[in-house]
Amino acid sequence: MKVKPEGLRGAANICSRGGRHPLTAMFGADETSFGGGYAVYCLFENKEKHDIDILKAEFDAGSDLHYPALTPVLPAAAWYERELHDMFGFIPDDHPDLRPLVLHETYPEDFHPLRKCVDIDADVRGERKYEMAVSHGDGLFEVPVGPIHAGIIEPGHFRFSQAGEAILQLDAKLFFTHRGIEKAVEGKTPEEALLIVERICGACSVANTLSYCQALEKLSGQNVPRRAWLIRTIAAELERLYNHIGDTGNMCAGVGFAPVISMGSRLKEILLRCNEAIAGNRFLRGLIVPGGVKYDLTESLCTELTVALTKVENEYNDIVQIIAEQDGFLNRAKTTGIISKNVALDLALVGVGARASGVDCDCRRDLPYGLYAELPFNVITKTDGDVYARLQVRMGEVAESITLIRKALKLLQQDDSQLHCGELAYKTLTGSWGISESARGSNLHWLMLDADGCIERLFIRSASYPNWPALTIAVQGDIIPDFPLINKSFELCYACLDR
Amino acid sequence: MAMHIYDLGWMLAQVLLLLCSAPLVAGIIKKVKALLQNRIGSSIFQEYFDLYKWWQKPTILTPYTSLVFIIAPLVYFASVVVAAAMLPNFFGTQFSFGDVFVFIGVLTLGRFFMTLSSLDTATAFGGMGGSREIYISVLAEPVILLAVLVNALRSGSTTLAGMALDFQAVYLSVASVLTCIAFFCLLLAENGRIPVDNPDTHLELTMIHECMLLEYSGRLLAVIHWASMLKTLVFLVLFSLLYLPLSLPLAVKVLLAATAVSVMETLKNKMRLFKVRVYLAAAGILLLLAIVAQ
Repeated sequence: MKVKPEGLRGAANICSRGGRHPLTAMFGADETSFGGGYAVYCLFENKEKHDIDILKAEFDAGSDLHYPALTPVLPAAAWYERELHDMFGFIPDDHPDLRPLVLHETYPEDFHPLRKCVDIDADVRGERKYEMAVSHGDGLFEVPVGPIHAGIIEPGHFRFSQAGEAILQLDAKLFFTHRGIEKAVEGKTPEEALLIVERICGACSVANTLSYCQALEKLSGQNVPRRAWLIRTIAAELERLYNHIGDTGNMCAGVGFAPVISMGSRLKEILLRCNEAIAGNRFLRGLIVPGGVKYDLTESLCTELTVALTKVENEYNDIVQIIAEQDGFLNRAKTTGIISKNVALDLALVGVGARASGVDCDCRRDLPYGLYAELPFNVITKTDGDVYARLQVRMGEVAESITLIRKALKLLQQDDSQLHCGELAYKTLTGSWGISESARGSNLHWLMLDADGCIERLFIRSASYPNWPALTIAVQGDIIPDFPLINKSFELCYACLDR
Repeated sequence: MAMHIYDLGWMLAQVLLLLCSAPLVAGIIKKVKALLQNRIGSSIFQEYFDLYKWWQKPTILTPYTSLVFIIAPLVYFASVVVAAAMLPNFFGTQFSFGDVFVFIGVLTLGRFFMTLSSLDTATAFGGMGGSREIYISVLAEPVILLAVLVNALRSGSTTLAGMALDFQAVYLSVASVLTCIAFFCLLLAENGRIPVDNPDTHLELTMIHECMLLEYSGRLLAVIHWASMLKTLVFLVLFSLLYLPLSLPLAVKVLLAATAVSVMETLKNKMRLFKVRVYLAAAGILLLLAIVAQ
């Protein structure tokens, strides 16, 4: 659906059906190079049709890029609109908080890198205001944390407004290592861009590649062979498995519960070595390509995987048991960092964060892709919305993923189709999206190829993007020593933002 | 009792022995913990290497610190050394100076200066660490005094030497077992161990004791860490001498207590900060019961 800029808010309001169809993504595009102007795309997940509704607002090339902000009616749009403001110079009128998001104080005011006229190699220096949101008052103080942390993690600056130990407000300054991937892939062939897309983030490597490849496959109209989909499914579930198991251990690190930290790391290592046996690297890169997969799962690899899965399943059950019996841990995890269902819906949260707050969503089921429609699994939801609920969702999904991999391995033995569907020819100047459920939630890619078949625009919305703002809400009312635990329960990714 | 030059010599020998073995005991606690947690862990001598490493490094002072920042580690170190000297002499001389109230006062002096230094740098973490340290010490001190009272009632003396258990006898009475458990809980709280504080964490926001040291480097950091290890050992020795009702040689008892610390740090996770008061109250109630039982 196409609308004029001034009609965007009204149209978005209709598309969201009173919040029943969540805002999946919102992004801009500079279409001046093929005769258009600027565009803002809003993607809504249509829960009834199991599809994505695309709303496009077209701006004339010479216009002032003003439009009525969606944030006042759809809070989930807040970050997207700040990013639109930074990257393209769109001005969402009445946006309650239009501070810079991606571009920090070292960039000039009128710098909008995703416009086509900006040269990617330009040496840009400047100054702009970047203010943190803080509370002021008698006896209140600020605690700045980061961007460099004591652990080996990515950079992020957190500013706590404190009343004693209690957190009144938290503001996060992220995007420190933004790599401009969306800009860098423009003009590259889909095959070249694939290598970059695989490296957006280590822990969601498969999910990113899967979304990207599906978007391309839709443009070619060709079907991916069944065997390739089985192997893709196994890879995607293996990724979920090693993430969830590692995160279970990490959450225990948040409260200093040492035995489970070591158990989690050990099980994760077993799975990473399985990955290495399958793809030659620990993050399953190079396995999934547009049109299929590159490597087969041989009989011996399948056996190896089955053995490893049994071991992981048994030992993970031990972890589940230990945690269930650890009163001290339960005391820390229950009622800590609560996200209510309303907040989850308003912010259009995805993945574990949403499911732990009672939002029944999983794009493997809601927007079925690949073979998920014929591989039944349960979507695990909890209603408490606290740290423990998020842990329980992960625990449930570990069991589901193991079952899914076993089913897929069984089907794989009876299947002798090809690994690849052959040469793909892509439609140009047509938008296309691909989605996949990563360990952190739905991962969406939207792309368009230019007349030469190279990337015109690639938009990447990984699962961490909608969930980051929820962290700042979850910590309100908790005390600052509980922050690491709450943070780990969301397990959000910095690299996924710094795309 | 007049003080002999020999007594002074034995006292110095005791302090030196404790100073030299403190990093080893800390290393043993870490090693046992690692083994219990399915890890290989670092060598039991790692703490010596760490101290040597910090000693080699320059101390970086921010321009915003005052003299307190430099004095505090020294006062802390000195206070723990004095406390170590006040322990009943394990070389058999009868002489000891000061009573248990002085002992607690001296240790508190060191803690007071560390808290001052944490505020001196005016960083957010220092202030947080200082406030939490005081919160815990304010709650822990009355309980420690209760623990002292239990022993004082039994032995009719408030000197540490007078209160020490007889090595040869076994004291498996209700009172002694209750006091033993309660003082062990205190030992964990006083030395920043799980479930009160986590000495191994890198998560600044959750730290208590370590939070106050974040601005220290080089030799000053070495001094603080050495003092902290010595303090842990002093508490382990005190626990073994006064509260562990087993007829075993002191060294064995200390190692036993150190192992118990490792086991606790494996079995338990860190509790919520505001639950520490419940934890310390529980120790206090055990001690009250012990007094009643006695």
